[in-house]
Amino acid sequence: MAEKKKVITRRDFIRASSCVAMGSLVGLPLLENPSVTKPTKSRVVLVRDRGVLDSQAQCRPRTLQNMVDRAVTTLLDAPDPTSAWKELIRPTDIVGIKSNVWHYLPTPKALEAAIRESLVDVGVNEENMAADDRGVRRNAVFKRCTALINVRPMRTHHWSGLGTLIKNYVMFVPRPWKYHGNACENLGAIWQLPHVKGKTRLNILVMLTPLFHGIGPHHFSRRYTWRYCGLIVGTDPVAVDATGARIIQAKRDAFFGTGRPISPPPLHIAAADTRFGLGNSHPDRIELVMLGWEKDVLI
Amino acid sequence: MRGALQTKAHFFLLIVSLLGGCMHVMIQKTYADSLGVLRAALPDRIEGWTAEPEDRFFDDETIFDYIDGAGEVYRAYNMRTCLSRRYIAPKGPPITMDIFDMGSSEDAFGVFTHDQDGEALDVGQGALYRSGWLSFWKDRFFVSIYVEEETAAAKKAVRNLGKVVALLIAAQGPKPRILSHLPSEGRKPQSVRYLHHHMVLNYHFYLSNENILNLGPNTDAALADYQRGKEFARLLVVMYPSEGKAKEALASLLLHYLPEADSTGVVALENGTWAAATAKGKLLAIVLEADSCQLAKGLLKGATKAPAQHD
Repeated sequence: MAEKKKVITRRDFIRASSCVAMGSLVGLPLLENPSVTKPTKSRVVLVRDRGVLDSQAQCRPRTLQNMVDRAVTTLLDAPDPTSAWKELIRPTDIVGIKSNVWHYLPTPKALEAAIRESLVDVGVNEENMAADDRGVRRNAVFKRCTALINVRPMRTHHWSGLGTLIKNYVMFVPRPWKYHGNACENLGAIWQLPHVKGKTRLNILVMLTPLFHGIGPHHFSRRYTWRYCGLIVGTDPVAVDATGARIIQAKRDAFFGTGRPISPPPLHIAAADTRFGLGNSHPDRIELVMLGWEKDVLI
Repeated sequence: MRGALQTKAHFFLLIVSLLGGCMHVMIQKTYADSLGVLRAALPDRIEGWTAEPEDRFFDDETIFDYIDGAGEVYRAYNMRTCLSRRYIAPKGPPITMDIFDMGSSEDAFGVFTHDQDGEALDVGQGALYRSGWLSFWKDRFFVSIYVEEETAAAKKAVRNLGKVVALLIAAQGPKPRILSHLPSEGRKPQSVRYLHHHMVLNYHFYLSNENILNLGPNTDAALADYQRGKEFARLLVVMYPSEGKAKEALASLLLHYLPEADSTGVVALENGTWAAATAKGKLLAIVLEADSCQLAKGLLKGATKAPAQHD
């Protein structure tokens, strides 16, 4: 007999946390158990430098490289950046840098360059690395890659609530819209696919000028971005996304007042934790280390 | 005799198939012509902005190549075609105009109601302006005019372009009939939304991971917020193709969402608000949340009585 499909309703969320807003679901159980084991606590590094952007909001490459170096060194308790990267990547690895090209808020080229430089320092051959987004399924390097670096800006998203590191892998499937159901809740399943599973070594959530609210068909307005000047870095994509989500929600609260939760609720973050076992979404299971500029950190 | 019958049956099927094909081509052509006629009349210049030489067209499949994420919204309202035109100026930000042919005025209205923030303007049959984005609907068209960075000159150009395009659409279309089941007393301005798809309902009010109300292309639904005195409520009304479908949806709602409901259909929720549901004929009315039992019952009564005129 076919197993009866589990229906999860708004009331389940209300019961789980009677005072929680629907947009604050990160960390809430989705009434399921993870199918794989995950770390009991995930370290996440938030690094900020107000000097990383010039007056035109363009990245200063050297400052950005320095932020990445500080973050990975702290993340892995390494003595220097190259040692840290060596814990993540072997010289023989073939590395795909999964970026994001959404033209209103793309992964900065300077950040891709900083990652490439770090990989070269580790000893990875330049022919064995590539950065790509929408072409990853056709990209020769991605097709044979042994390691992935996942890097993208965080933004609100019309259909999934948030554009996240978890969601950034949707380009690894041929029909992304198949994952649109229930606010893209099942995006974590993509991370279980054979050509993706277990390859991600580092996740970098770009919080330089995040988008905290979207309008219109293109879901973008400069009015709803701000100079946060941060990067959130970790090996656990769920913990990094959950941390970013808290900052976006805090910014919305500060801008709109209360009562404007992220909409739709970014269910895929909690589901990546509780359903797909990709990492930790609850703040109690995230060790957040903050470096650099502290003003208006929002977390 | 049997062979002759089979030949007649095959001939009949062939005719039906050909007619079906012709109808499809005619419908497609009508959509294209309609947008094509409008396109031909669109201004090449507005204030200091000039149209780029090439317009782009998208259908319900290719829309994802153009719009990331929100493409699903337009599909959920049965979009047929989208025309996209960019206007550029030497010293101003580009203006993007997207004209969606939604196939019906009801769906053009519906997609317009998806985002209700902003200042109401007298453009088309309903318009809103916020942060560099003007949206309006008129007849079967939903029009979005957007500037990434709002300046005084760009704002003026966006508004004027909207007025010009609205005047180019001659006809006016009706709003969805389901709106007449939303009581007018206490209904909050700019809170009414018209929809078919449960994903769109979840966007506005997360109800369930499954489509427990059996919403779909053949169901018309309307959602509205209410404020009566100091009490708040949210009402959903759905019109099904048959009375049986409405009863099935009510049964599903009671099973999955309101299992404690008594014969009145009213339930106290865990967060201190009240929910209630009832079906009458093809109509299902649900008070998703209300600050009091009395308000919930009053809204149900108002929704299920004879339809009122909607403004």
